[in-house]
Amino acid sequence: MIPWDKLHGAMTHFPIALLLFSTACDFGSVAFKRRPFARELRTVSFYGLFAAALASVGVVVSGVALTKGQLWGRGDLLWHHRFAWPAFGLVVALAVWRLVVRDAMSRTGWCLYLLLMAVGSGLVAAAGYFGGELLLGGG
Amino acid sequence: MLTSLEIKGAAAAVASSALLLAATFAAGAIYGDRQRLVRATGEPGASAAIATQGRGFFFQSCAHCHGQDADGGEDAPSLHKLQISGAHMTLVIQSGIKDEMPSFSKRYDGQETAAIVAYLKTLQ
Repeated sequence: MIPWDKLHGAMTHFPIALLLFSTACDFGSVAFKRRPFARELRTVSFYGLFAAALASVGVVVSGVALTKGQLWGRGDLLWHHRFAWPAFGLVVALAVWRLVVRDAMSRTGWCLYLLLMAVGSGLVAAAGYFGGELLLGGG
Repeated sequence: MLTSLEIKGAAAAVASSALLLAATFAAGAIYGDRQRLVRATGEPGASAAIATQGRGFFFQSCAHCHGQDADGGEDAPSLHKLQISGAHMTLVIQSGIKDEMPSFSKRYDGQETAAIVAYLKTLQ
């Protein structure tokens, strides 16, 4: 018997941490765009985002197994899913887009990407918050 | 302005994301149905098949009053969260309720009624 609760609880921290770190690196590369390490920050953010997208697949599989196929649920679980599903879709989409475009981004593309990374980070953080409430808040 | 590469990338991103979400929801729904049947019948094999058969009977004879999802219709109540035993459900299906629900004793024998009850238990 696979302990899905422990597995989901352990795995879920990877995409949260990686995505927030990736977003921070992206914004850091904007803030320090004249510094020599700005380019490296963007490279790190790319790998961070890609790893977050890969890890999120495992998180989703373990989450679906944990809830026994309950894709929405009620209360805090419903709120968790309301943020988790858009976050999952957005993280995968951003990773694929970045994989295709790499560093050949226009100014508009880069701005849109940063905006969506911020939105994705917010969604992931909110999904994580309600996931934590399920575990610790008694909801 | 976005470049053509960025637009192609966006198309690929939206397509792959939508595909992954659709696959997740389809697999999750199938897995969820399966888990509900297992929970209701206690075992994943033969009992789940009985409940699946009961679902077929439900759609044939009950769904037009109680709704496709058994969540109630204009003249019939929801069958979710029924607070009655399996034996009581069997009695109601076999005997009906005067002026409210017809008897299905001529249409479904004991085994078939048990299958409907097994399905209804998956809704609780």
